[in-house]
Amino acid sequence: MKGLFAGYGRGLTLAFFAAVALWSLMLIILPQLTMLERALTPPKRAMDSSIAMILARDADTCISVLETFMEAPADAAPANGGMAVPSASGMAVPSASGMAVPSASGGAAGGATRPYILQCDRATTHVGLTLNSGEEPAHLDTTYDLPLIAVSDSDPIPEQIATAEEIIEIALKLAEQLKAAEAAANPWTLDNFGWLVAAGEIPLSDSQQVIEDAKISKNLMGLVGLRFEQDGQVFERIGLIILTRTILFAAAATGLALLLCYPIAYKVALATPANRAIWLFLGLVIPYAIVELMRIYAWTAIIDNQGLINGFLQWIGAIDDPIQFKRSPMTVFVVIVYTYVLFMVFPIFNVMSTLDRNQIEAARDLGGSPWRVHARIIIPHAKPGIAVGTIATFMLAAGAFSVPRIISRRLQAEWFAQTIYNKFFESENSNIGAAYSFAYTLICFALVALFMWLMRTRLKDFARVQCTRIVFSASRPGRSSPSCLRRSC
Amino acid sequence: MRGKDVVLDNVSITYPNGFTAVQTTDLRIEAGEFFSILGPSGCGKTTILRAVSGFIAPSTGRIVIGGEDMGTKGPNVRPTALIFQNLALFPLMPVWENVAFGLEARGVSKRERRAKAQELLDLVALSDQGDKLPGELSGGQRQRVAIARALAVEPAVLLLDEPLSALDLKLRQHMRAELRDIQRRTGVTFIYITHDQGEALTMSDRIAVMNEGVIEQFGTGDAIYSAPRTAFAASFVGEANRFDGRIERAEGDQAIIATSLGQFRARNPGELIPGSEAMLFVRPEAMALGAGENNLAARLVRRDLEGAFVNLFFEIQGHEIAVHLTNTGHAVDAGPGQVASLSFAANHGVILPAGPLARTGREMAAQ
Repeated sequence: MKGLFAGYGRGLTLAFFAAVALWSLMLIILPQLTMLERALTPPKRAMDSSIAMILARDADTCISVLETFMEAPADAAPANGGMAVPSASGMAVPSASGMAVPSASGGAAGGATRPYILQCDRATTHVGLTLNSGEEPAHLDTTYDLPLIAVSDSDPIPEQIATAEEIIEIALKLAEQLKAAEAAANPWTLDNFGWLVAAGEIPLSDSQQVIEDAKISKNLMGLVGLRFEQDGQVFERIGLIILTRTILFAAAATGLALLLCYPIAYKVALATPANRAIWLFLGLVIPYAIVELMRIYAWTAIIDNQGLINGFLQWIGAIDDPIQFKRSPMTVFVVIVYTYVLFMVFPIFNVMSTLDRNQIEAARDLGGSPWRVHARIIIPHAKPGIAVGTIATFMLAAGAFSVPRIISRRLQAEWFAQTIYNKFFESENSNIGAAYSFAYTLICFALVALFMWLMRTRLKDFARVQCTRIVFSASRPGRSSPSCLRRSC
Repeated sequence: MRGKDVVLDNVSITYPNGFTAVQTTDLRIEAGEFFSILGPSGCGKTTILRAVSGFIAPSTGRIVIGGEDMGTKGPNVRPTALIFQNLALFPLMPVWENVAFGLEARGVSKRERRAKAQELLDLVALSDQGDKLPGELSGGQRQRVAIARALAVEPAVLLLDEPLSALDLKLRQHMRAELRDIQRRTGVTFIYITHDQGEALTMSDRIAVMNEGVIEQFGTGDAIYSAPRTAFAASFVGEANRFDGRIERAEGDQAIIATSLGQFRARNPGELIPGSEAMLFVRPEAMALGAGENNLAARLVRRDLEGAFVNLFFEIQGHEIAVHLTNTGHAVDAGPGQVASLSFAANHGVILPAGPLARTGREMAAQ
């Protein structure tokens, strides 16, 4: 700290630390805490108090619809001939609530004086409670010992309104009690995480099941408990399966990117004269000046049924029907590698270009084969870059959303990022979404930590490499910089 | 270990950009010899070294080591080992693995490697440093690790590319003796590249003086110093007073040269004929005060005491003339501005054809 103060001045150092603190608070700690809180609490609308509130709201809407109906019923009803078909004037009625669904069939229910109103139908204390774990749904009236009251459409309308008001009163009172109870109770639950490991029944015909059972992937899933049979029915832990599959794909994509990038980085950093390396470099960078989405969409032009590849293959007569690239996981895989390859190339390139080429020549001169020079000199030196590139690429691939979404067009199994998205925005259950994403973060973090632990010793060596280089160059005459020497190792 | 001879047969090296780093050269380096290539930076000496080690191929001619044409053989299969200017030790490997790298590449078992590495570390007096990393050693120790690493592959020819230039003066002087000693004990042919004439003269059996891709002269240190054959060799190795002029007449192995300072008699090894442009070189220590065979009078400008020597600098007609006298305790007590008569013996001066000269310190500083 003192050194930093001396080197950069008090103001700059404090500003730097403040920026770091603010950054980690706003972008890491707070969002993750919010996510964790959501993940550990049940969805608000699944709570009993929310059910009671919904009941009150339904009854309230029922009343307001009934009231508008009462104001101008006299001419509307005879004109409709008791058919309760909404007339031009009647059309104004549902629009007041926006939710009421007038229906022709409602009028047929025995001398009705009003059309069917959805909210009035739902305004009954016999409302189903959503209960977890697939039990029989319970009801508010039985669970909380309420009188069974419903707005009956055979009653005179003022009576219906009175009933509805009564329901509102009961519901609000109950909601208040329940809210107080819920606030006092322990709000934490692991149920959201439970959804991740929950098994779902896969409906299969016998013949399908024989085919499925023969698949190696299905057997592997059986071995690790992702798939099991119970009472002749097949169950799969779908959430976990998607998660495992995504991580395996991401790891494989990372491995492929590494295999691809190491030779490129080597070629540009060490095996090309500097003036020509710059062109190779430009070739790598220019595709990345294009927006990521555009790069991905460009691929759809290539892999479409009418795309470049199919078009060409059909033109030369190699195939009759287009190859369904968008249905193949391999396509997503390739595009992911393409999209994130640069995050692998650059760290490796950067570290590699700091390697003293004399070391390579020395190793060659001592009789080292090219393989040995890579294994003993270049890879150990580039290991920190490889580690950084691998982590970056893996995290990007594991969190890839746009590539699988755009390339597969939902024609293949989703990647986990899509699952999280769907939980958040399509099934409208952000608490489960939060649990999924938090669990996923933890798993990826654990994997990265494991990977770094495996690379541990070499990362330490890296610090030493930098030191040695400084010491070596400092010992050259005329270039001595004692500050570097002092700070070494 | 036994050294092998190295023959450069008609070798020239031109880089892809058209620059000819080494003009056509014939050179024979005897087996077990300590051979130095001495020249200013950019003269092509490192290029020759890299060609011998196999990192670049000669554009013409061939390189023969121990009677075997190296052709297009790569550096990893030649019987040579190169010590780099910056040593290029492997910083991530402990010292002993550095030393044993060449053996590892040859598939020697780990136990044997360790034993052999220890043997070599003993040779270079680093017995207990084997498990350290190169970064933890001092400059001189790293130097010795580099030597041990190169010797581990039992090369017939060891190529050294200014390996001492990064060291402090005292250490450098010590390492000279050590290198010479290692060379004698192992019998390996050493080809030593340097721009430091002191290194070349103290260590080498023979020296080649090189300038602009051409080997100007080669021979023993004595021959190079006392009997330079070209103006460049005379001006690059050691110090020399130079007088430009024209040959007046030749007399046996001597000649009379007419300069702006008068006529002088000196050796004429090139048998220059009268009328040819020539340069007369006289070493400062060959100059004497008082009258002699060749005489001139000059004004004393500066007197530098250098311990064993007293260096006197005279000026005449814009020429600076250096005179080095042995400090006998009661030598010259002259003050600046005094005019003195100087002389030198005819066989201490050498007349050479006019030609390119080594750059002086002043020229280098101005660049």
